[in-house]
Amino acid sequence: MTLLPEAIGLIAFVSLLVILMAGIPIGASLALVGTVGLALLLTPEAALIKVGVIAFDTVTRYELGVLPLFMLMAQLCFAAGASGDFFGLAAKLVGHKRGGLGVASIGGCAGFGAISGSSLATVATMSAVALPEMRRQNYHPGFAAGALAAGGTLGSLIPPSGALIVFGIIAEQSIGKLFAAAVIPGITQALFYIAVILIMVRWKPDLAPPGPRASWRERGAAALRIIDISLLVLFVVGGLILGWFTPTEAASVGCVGGLVILAVRRKFTSAALSNALLETLRTTGMIYTIVIGAIIFSTFVSVTGIPDHMIGVVDAVGASPTMAIIMMAIMLLLLGSFLDGLALMLLMTPILLPVVENLGLSPIWFGIFLVRTMEIGFVHPPLGFNVYVIHAGARDIPLGSIFRGVIPFLAGDFLHLAMLIAFPAIVLWLPTLQG
Amino acid sequence: MDSSTETPETLSRTHRFLIFAGSAGLLVAMATDALAVLGRHVGFAVIGSIEIFQVAAVVALSSSILMVSMMNRHATVDLIIGRASGRTRAFLAQIGRAALAITFGLIAFGSIWVAVDLWPTTEMTELLSIRLAPFRLIWITACTLAAVHFSVSFAKGLRK
Repeated sequence: MTLLPEAIGLIAFVSLLVILMAGIPIGASLALVGTVGLALLLTPEAALIKVGVIAFDTVTRYELGVLPLFMLMAQLCFAAGASGDFFGLAAKLVGHKRGGLGVASIGGCAGFGAISGSSLATVATMSAVALPEMRRQNYHPGFAAGALAAGGTLGSLIPPSGALIVFGIIAEQSIGKLFAAAVIPGITQALFYIAVILIMVRWKPDLAPPGPRASWRERGAAALRIIDISLLVLFVVGGLILGWFTPTEAASVGCVGGLVILAVRRKFTSAALSNALLETLRTTGMIYTIVIGAIIFSTFVSVTGIPDHMIGVVDAVGASPTMAIIMMAIMLLLLGSFLDGLALMLLMTPILLPVVENLGLSPIWFGIFLVRTMEIGFVHPPLGFNVYVIHAGARDIPLGSIFRGVIPFLAGDFLHLAMLIAFPAIVLWLPTLQG
Repeated sequence: MDSSTETPETLSRTHRFLIFAGSAGLLVAMATDALAVLGRHVGFAVIGSIEIFQVAAVVALSSSILMVSMMNRHATVDLIIGRASGRTRAFLAQIGRAALAITFGLIAFGSIWVAVDLWPTTEMTELLSIRLAPFRLIWITACTLAAVHFSVSFAKGLRK
């Protein structure tokens, strides 16, 4: 009996879900299922050659160099001591208002997220900096932790974002356009979280009492501490959006800027540099293994014909683009309960992207939508990585309390996602200006 | 997998070599690209900067993938493995090692196949005529060593 390519694809998809859930490394899972699938659909020899070609092409692809270089830029900024500076400034500006430190934590997450490009790094760093401060000011622990867990997700969206770079690679979309597209959704997401905090403290004033007011001298000093790194991020992302340089060049320029900041701040030591390089290489090796696996898997998916089949199903049902996207959002949120964001993105992009394109929707918009959906998975149970990261640093706050604290922000997330679906122009306006 | 907190000072000689090679590759790629941007805006051309970037990236990425493999730091979905009993966890980790050994073995084998096919063509870059064979060799060596590392870890796991 010969199996249809679509049936092989479906079996492979289910097998991949099972082995991912069993804790088999993500890169190996994707590569193995993809290779076995290609061997079944083509020939073992063709599959092996394909794997060899994909692997070396991936490590030599100039456009992919953006990933390790942006990571290095982030590590250099961390080494320069940028971790708490954004929160420090925001806390001095609004910390004296009710809920002010909560608002400051969102501002700190947005600022730090612009450097780190990662949700987990943002939440880990910001919770270490902001949570003790909020607890000292008698913030409700669950509310404070919830604000930080939600705020941490900004790291995945605010450019330069690691998740968007990976999406750009897998979907073969312009990383510059993806970064431009993420600017307004990132800002509006932060504003939604701030609105949630303000509504919550109006409803329950005890959640977040006001703190002491900082003097203008203190505020000025805090502002001075972030000015160099802010200018660097603005220059890199702005230059990229304006077309001064390609994404890889932007990342290289960012690294040089990071080295200069390190020197200006008198923190340019061999230990600082080697730690930054070690961390970068460590993350790079991990992500590239996954990217190679994802490209092998994505090649296999395109050979199965599953995307064409999905397009046929959507056409046959006659679903409107909005309805199809809502269905996709529900599916992604459900899968996000079991898979982490990166795995979810790598698994679903090759299947859903052709459907999205067939519906006449922009792949750039889909990238933002996918990352936004993925971000929600970072805070909703049972997975909610961000919640576990905070819990690991503050064991005395029960997990249930943090998840309860996240609920109002999740409501804000769903509203924000609905807004992005209803008004795609929020995403597409800036990339359109790029031409 | 495991999550140790190594610093460059506490690492073995092999790790240090990989960090050195990877860092050198990364810094060369960064410097070449940054110089090309500067040149474009100031008025001089860095010919073949992308080619230098590409071969430097091979060194950086081969080193980093091998380093991460030797440190057992490949990313996993921890939902089940994180909550499993010690025995189940050890069993799943063992399958994970086998999967990584096979994956890197397949990548190495596929890469060798392609390299052998391309050997007679003396494949090189367009502008600077950099021969790609040595860089293919670096990549193949890294993947082979990663496969060997996971095979040895798997065998050690079986003995326990």
